[in-house]
Amino acid sequence: MVSRWRWLALALGGLAVAPVVLPPFFVYLVALVLVTGLLATSLNLVLGYGGLYQFHHGVFYGIGAYTVAVGITRLGWPAWLAFLLGPVAAAAAGWVIGFFCVRLSRLYFGMLQLSLGSFVWIVALRWYPVTGGDNGIHGIPLPAPLQTLAGAYGLVAAVVLVSLGILWAVVRSPFGLTLQAIRDNPQRSEVMGVPVRLHQLAAMVLAAFFAGVAGVLYVVLERSVFPSMLFWVLSLEILVMCLLGGWFTFSGPLVGAVVMVGLRTLVGRYTEYWTLVVGVLLILLIFFLPEGIMGWLQQRRAALQAPSVRPAAAGDVRG
Amino acid sequence: MSARRRWIALVAGTLAAASVAGASAAPAVRFDRNIKVGVVDTYSGPPAVFGNDALNGFRLALQEINRDGVHGARIEFVTRDEKFNPEIGLSMARELVLQERVDVLVGTINSATALAISAFAREQRVPFLVWISKSEAITGARGHRYVFSTTENTAMAGKALAEAMVRRGYTRFWLAAEDYEYGHAVTNSFWRFVKRLKPEAELVNQTWWRTGEPDLVPYLTQILQARPQAAFFGTGGAGMANVMRTMQVIGFAQRVPSAIHTAIDVTVLRPLGTAAPEGVFGTTDYLYYYPDTPANRKFVQDFQAAFGGPPGFPAFHGYITGHFIAEAFRRARSLDRERFVEALEGLRIQTPVGEVEMRACDHQAVLPMIFGVTRRDPRFPHLVAGDPTVIPGANVMPTCEDIRRARERAR
Amino acid sequence: MDAAAILGQLLVGLGRSMILFIVSAGLSLVLGVLRVPNVFHGSLYMLGAFVAWTVAEALGPHPAGLWLALATAPLVTAAVGLVVERLLLSRLYQREHLMLILFTFGVMLVLNDVVKLLWGPTYRSLVPPPSLQGAATVLGVALPKYNVVLLLAGPVVAAALWLFTQRTRAGKVSRAAATDRDMVAVLGVDVSRVFGLAFALGCFLAGLGGALVAPTTSITLGMDHSLLIDSFLIVIVGGLGNLWGALVGSLLFGVTQSLGLLVWPQFAVAFPYAVTAAVLLVRPTGLLRSAW
Repeated sequence: MVSRWRWLALALGGLAVAPVVLPPFFVYLVALVLVTGLLATSLNLVLGYGGLYQFHHGVFYGIGAYTVAVGITRLGWPAWLAFLLGPVAAAAAGWVIGFFCVRLSRLYFGMLQLSLGSFVWIVALRWYPVTGGDNGIHGIPLPAPLQTLAGAYGLVAAVVLVSLGILWAVVRSPFGLTLQAIRDNPQRSEVMGVPVRLHQLAAMVLAAFFAGVAGVLYVVLERSVFPSMLFWVLSLEILVMCLLGGWFTFSGPLVGAVVMVGLRTLVGRYTEYWTLVVGVLLILLIFFLPEGIMGWLQQRRAALQAPSVRPAAAGDVRG
Repeated sequence: MSARRRWIALVAGTLAAASVAGASAAPAVRFDRNIKVGVVDTYSGPPAVFGNDALNGFRLALQEINRDGVHGARIEFVTRDEKFNPEIGLSMARELVLQERVDVLVGTINSATALAISAFAREQRVPFLVWISKSEAITGARGHRYVFSTTENTAMAGKALAEAMVRRGYTRFWLAAEDYEYGHAVTNSFWRFVKRLKPEAELVNQTWWRTGEPDLVPYLTQILQARPQAAFFGTGGAGMANVMRTMQVIGFAQRVPSAIHTAIDVTVLRPLGTAAPEGVFGTTDYLYYYPDTPANRKFVQDFQAAFGGPPGFPAFHGYITGHFIAEAFRRARSLDRERFVEALEGLRIQTPVGEVEMRACDHQAVLPMIFGVTRRDPRFPHLVAGDPTVIPGANVMPTCEDIRRARERAR
Repeated sequence: MDAAAILGQLLVGLGRSMILFIVSAGLSLVLGVLRVPNVFHGSLYMLGAFVAWTVAEALGPHPAGLWLALATAPLVTAAVGLVVERLLLSRLYQREHLMLILFTFGVMLVLNDVVKLLWGPTYRSLVPPPSLQGAATVLGVALPKYNVVLLLAGPVVAAALWLFTQRTRAGKVSRAAATDRDMVAVLGVDVSRVFGLAFALGCFLAGLGGALVAPTTSITLGMDHSLLIDSFLIVIVGGLGNLWGALVGSLLFGVTQSLGLLVWPQFAVAFPYAVTAAVLLVRPTGLLRSAW
């Protein structure tokens, strides 16, 4: 426990001094990692803790971002109102898509979500007058304090930290524990009188909300939105982040986001074959590190210490 | 050979004149570091053909420029692959500006990426030269101080084609286009000019298909059945090849006269070989075999020697982009970005197609358009532009007043 | 609007549906038997088109070029699929399902770049033999002669699949495995081999679709993108793992689009998606009974 707090203090300190000591591009990169990390963590609420095959999480990220972009540039909303409505719109979409998906079996859940999500993507790609079609929307005017990199970084860092704190609390709450119990044994939970579908739907809405928050922060950082934010490839990439970091740990998706964003920036600079690199890495990961980086660390620590008494160790969860 | 020498003399003469003018006006400057250009373009996926061609033209220009340098400096460049994805393109541009600290950004084939980077360039006050993307919004409605275009745009193409089709007496049109930025821009522009030239022109109907639509037969047969007098197609890249093949297969152009920007272009016709339809009206701003001037011949020879194939229009754009950048830095006598922008405004340089001006009011290069009709020619392994005519750039450009109004509307 | 125009447009839409059917039948087969949404299915379709082009190009103008290409390409993609399945995927069957899906995503990333390494980014065109070039006028519609090949290929593949699943032992076993794989395993059948066979067959169909589409379009990187989403939708609408569902879904997709052109050409693109969305909202598990 002590070491966890030490890590947290270290991370907070690092984030606080980052804009002062790092060159601008790396400040931007840290902010991008935070946004992506929040997105992946929100997915993990339903994927790792909820055991749901959320195949198209990017849709909620995109809806959050597009709500802000369309609200500010087309509807003339004040920026702060748009920032609030972005996550709300994403949560609403999460409820609608979840409503149709949660009663289905796992894989079917994922497939149907992929299909419904693709409709949202097609709307964003085709509805030129509103969404800007394949262009997206660029140069979105933001309040003056957010127009500097330092200002954008400050807001991103603060909101991501608060959101992660809330997600952490959710995972530990009775709701979060019930969700994990449902994941581990849906039949038993059902028999015990737990409203399984309701819990899963609530988790989806919550995850969609925080994906929407990440979408809003993306706009703060980039001042642009793109239809590729809603494309299925991005959603699979977020899944890969969860897997890479370890999807049975809270910090895993964050670690995955660091590695993926870093890889894309570094490998993408030197070779046009970076998807090949990512593909090979992913395959190796599946075979040799299936619990992800954090899962592996946790297992090692558990192996070093006395026999673990932690409930539901990572390896026990199988669909 | 004599033609070649004459061209070299011409270039040398211009340079000498420029440096003499510079020398007489002020003491010689020496840049204390090299000029760094950041190139963001598609180097993977199908559009890489265009991206690589442009880069080769740019490389050729740099070879020529760096022989003597620009105030003692060389022009260097770094490339980033945007994978035809504006999101990646924007983050690459950010990295080039913030991390690599490039002096000038250059790119892209993707109009969506060009517009995204343009908004970023404006925010960062970095000059950005667009060399393939043709959306007129780039230097039109969404133009600004830091964005320039060294490529012909959809406003120019639409006007040239509209004039040619109206002159042929067609009044009932079907518009068919690919549903993306370029498709919308070129089709809207064509129809706007047709209506301006002939207000009674009738739009029979319009069809939009998505990018990457593999099978265009349903779309084209539908148009054939509706029997419009003529058809306009707003498509580019891989979609272009698909339209041309489908036209060839169902004999479309023989029944419905069709106009497509870039239909006579080498980058479109060469990969198709003889599987391209004859009789399609088209425009482009560069052909390696026409006009057959010494300047063009010299450029084509050098390009062929360096890269083993004839230059397409992207190569031409890459080549003049290099020379525009070098000449603007020469004039600016400084590595300052603001001075560079001011030097580039209104700059005229000699190019393989003659003198080209970078118009000051909208930062759009005034490029001539070539109009022609696709035709087989035994001397070439691919179809060529038959009956080519050159339309001076000034005749197809929107006026500065048009630009001012478009920008105001966008605000 | 006359009946001939509608019939003609229907004919054109059917040709498109057949390609969609062949590709999505392969996807559906793998889904039904292995329960894996194979994300690299689209890559194999693209690979099939490129292989077909290479074979046809190697034989030059020889009229047999196209037929040989149509025969070779699916075998190549089936071989690729079989190697991937036997060497890698089969080791994951005991694992979390998500791993299988992400694995196929990894293979997709690798395959797409391999195709780029081998063929480069240039567009390719496969010219059909002279007898299939040009168009024939059917019911006042200029129908490409090659469309006849497509219109014949669909039913042939459908019949072959029917014979396979109903009349062969392997087919019966895979059908049984689709419904209850544990039961099949208990009965002493080597389920793993059935999986390998079904997977290879699915990949064969992806390659066949790619080879068939090659002469009608430009063969490029990225040609797999929209097709993959379309076939996922078709498979969902038809009912996961149900081969006839794939047929129904493909017809719905191809025909609504070409008929949509007659009604409202400007928005025809959106028609198939609107129809599939409507179907899914009413019947989230698809039109026909899902194999799961």
